[in-house]
Amino acid sequence: MIGGNMSRWTMTYFAAALTWLLAALALMAAGIGHPATDLAAPDTLVLVHVICIGWLSTAMCGALFQFVPVLVARPLFSERLTLPALGLLTAGLIALLAGFMALGGRLPSGPWLLPLGAVLLVAGFGLVILDLGLTAWLRPTGPARFVLVGLASLCATVTFGAVFAFALAGWAGPVGDAVLARGIPLHAIAGLGGWLTLTAMGVSYRLLSMFMLAPDVEDRQSRLTLAAGGLAVAATVGGGAFAVGVAMRLNAVLSVAALLGLTCAALYGRDLAGIFRNRKRRELELNMRMAILSFASLAGTAVLGIALVSIGTLPLHLGAFAFLTVFGWLSGLVLAKLYKIVAFLTWLETYGPVMGRAATPRVQDLAAEQRATKWFAIYYLAVWAGTLALLAGEPSAFRIAAAAMTVGVFGIIHEIIRIRRLEDVASPLRLPAGAVAPHLLFAKT
Amino acid sequence: MTAYLDVDVRPILRAGGEPFSVIMAAIERLEKGQGLRLYATFKPVPLFAVMADKGFAHSASAMEGGEWEVLFTPAAAKPAQVAAPSNGFDFGAWPDPRVKLDNRDLEPPEPMVRILAAADKLGPGETLSALLRREPVFLFPQLEKRGFRWLGGFTTDGATYELTVRAPS
Repeated sequence: MIGGNMSRWTMTYFAAALTWLLAALALMAAGIGHPATDLAAPDTLVLVHVICIGWLSTAMCGALFQFVPVLVARPLFSERLTLPALGLLTAGLIALLAGFMALGGRLPSGPWLLPLGAVLLVAGFGLVILDLGLTAWLRPTGPARFVLVGLASLCATVTFGAVFAFALAGWAGPVGDAVLARGIPLHAIAGLGGWLTLTAMGVSYRLLSMFMLAPDVEDRQSRLTLAAGGLAVAATVGGGAFAVGVAMRLNAVLSVAALLGLTCAALYGRDLAGIFRNRKRRELELNMRMAILSFASLAGTAVLGIALVSIGTLPLHLGAFAFLTVFGWLSGLVLAKLYKIVAFLTWLETYGPVMGRAATPRVQDLAAEQRATKWFAIYYLAVWAGTLALLAGEPSAFRIAAAAMTVGVFGIIHEIIRIRRLEDVASPLRLPAGAVAPHLLFAKT
Repeated sequence: MTAYLDVDVRPILRAGGEPFSVIMAAIERLEKGQGLRLYATFKPVPLFAVMADKGFAHSASAMEGGEWEVLFTPAAAKPAQVAAPSNGFDFGAWPDPRVKLDNRDLEPPEPMVRILAAADKLGPGETLSALLRREPVFLFPQLEKRGFRWLGGFTTDGATYELTVRAPS
């Protein structure tokens, strides 16, 4: 079998991820975590990990189990590992969050909670890395290389995180304490920059050219983009670990990494412009128009980063910078692509068996783009307003923005459920003889 | 002048064997710029796409008794991608396609729908060929579920995907 099969649990991953996203938005709207508390406070750690592991990593893993086989035109190494991986990740995240809440005094003290969470998360991400790594390794063409570098970054992120968890429990000795004291930026950059951003870039190359009918970006060209991004992560992790080891300041390492990261973002922008220019399908679907807003946010983070560094206030506004990266760039892209991916997979699952034998709707007929546009618009406007509120130091304005983001996300989730239930397909085409209505949470075929 | 390595798979075919691995082994042995001259008992249509992927252009000429001589000449352009033959390469005689589809300028999912509709109308063992812009990875499982075999690959210019689908015989 070749890579175009349905991955059975992708919808389950998406559902779990969206649930965590709602939880994160509820925390922000309620004023729990940054900016109401310090950037390093336990409440902020809860919020950050709900977002990065629960929402973004879970959604990314679900998408990768479906699309890495497509990138390499090979079946997934093992479909059977995907559901246990989700179970371990979810259990690990819950234990980790409980550990942070115990640190903050919201739960009774339980020093074993953080190490337990770390062990479960290492096991869950380990299965993901094993499954996807072995799949991509067989035919590492352009976009698949991004995934491999992303998985390597995930290894680094998880390793740092596990050391932190053991150090917070007091079980990691003086070396662990030294890593905990200085290594947090390295953990964050490897996770947000290496794992989430490089992987999102890699998958977007193939998805964008597939959905817009554009020729693939030349390997030579995308390899340069990847080299800049990969070097940025390698410089951060390798140089950073060295600096921590010899008790040197991290500034030099982080400056080099930032320059390489900016180069990577600029080269990615050039690659994207090429895809948009060479596309055969002139009219842009909703998911593309919304993806453009997330690319604009990525460019915005680059500009904001440069501005904050040049006036010397990056440490003060790190929260605003991270917020725009996470919600403007990564979450925006994931939401826009989820909208399309769910429609596409649902269409394939429902109508694949009868295609060519009975009249079937088009993928676009499963979605009601006009209605969905307003939810996306609310979401992006709220994200940008939230960034400004953080920069201006206005926590109440930020909570209003978070509430508006929640409204937008609720709307998007409602649209996605309607797609999954075929509610917008006109009735004569909806379920031709032989087609099977899909289940909301997993693929039947 | 291109030098050619001669490979005669007619004895293997007459004995009912599978010459694919022999041909692939011969390709491994080729020196840079060298071509392959293949003798077969039929026109090996499915092989053309595989060889195009490896960067070889083909020219086939009929010999006496229905046998074929095919010249595979290395093209200047680099091969775009490796072919994706369906599991278990079946080197049985694939007839010339009964239907030819040019789906390059259609919007998805029209290419997939048209190929599946045309494939369902093929008689036992018949083939169809289709030109596409992309490797149709989501079509393959559908073909497989319906019992079809296929062979495909990008042509040497890297812009057109050539797919041959064969109905179960």
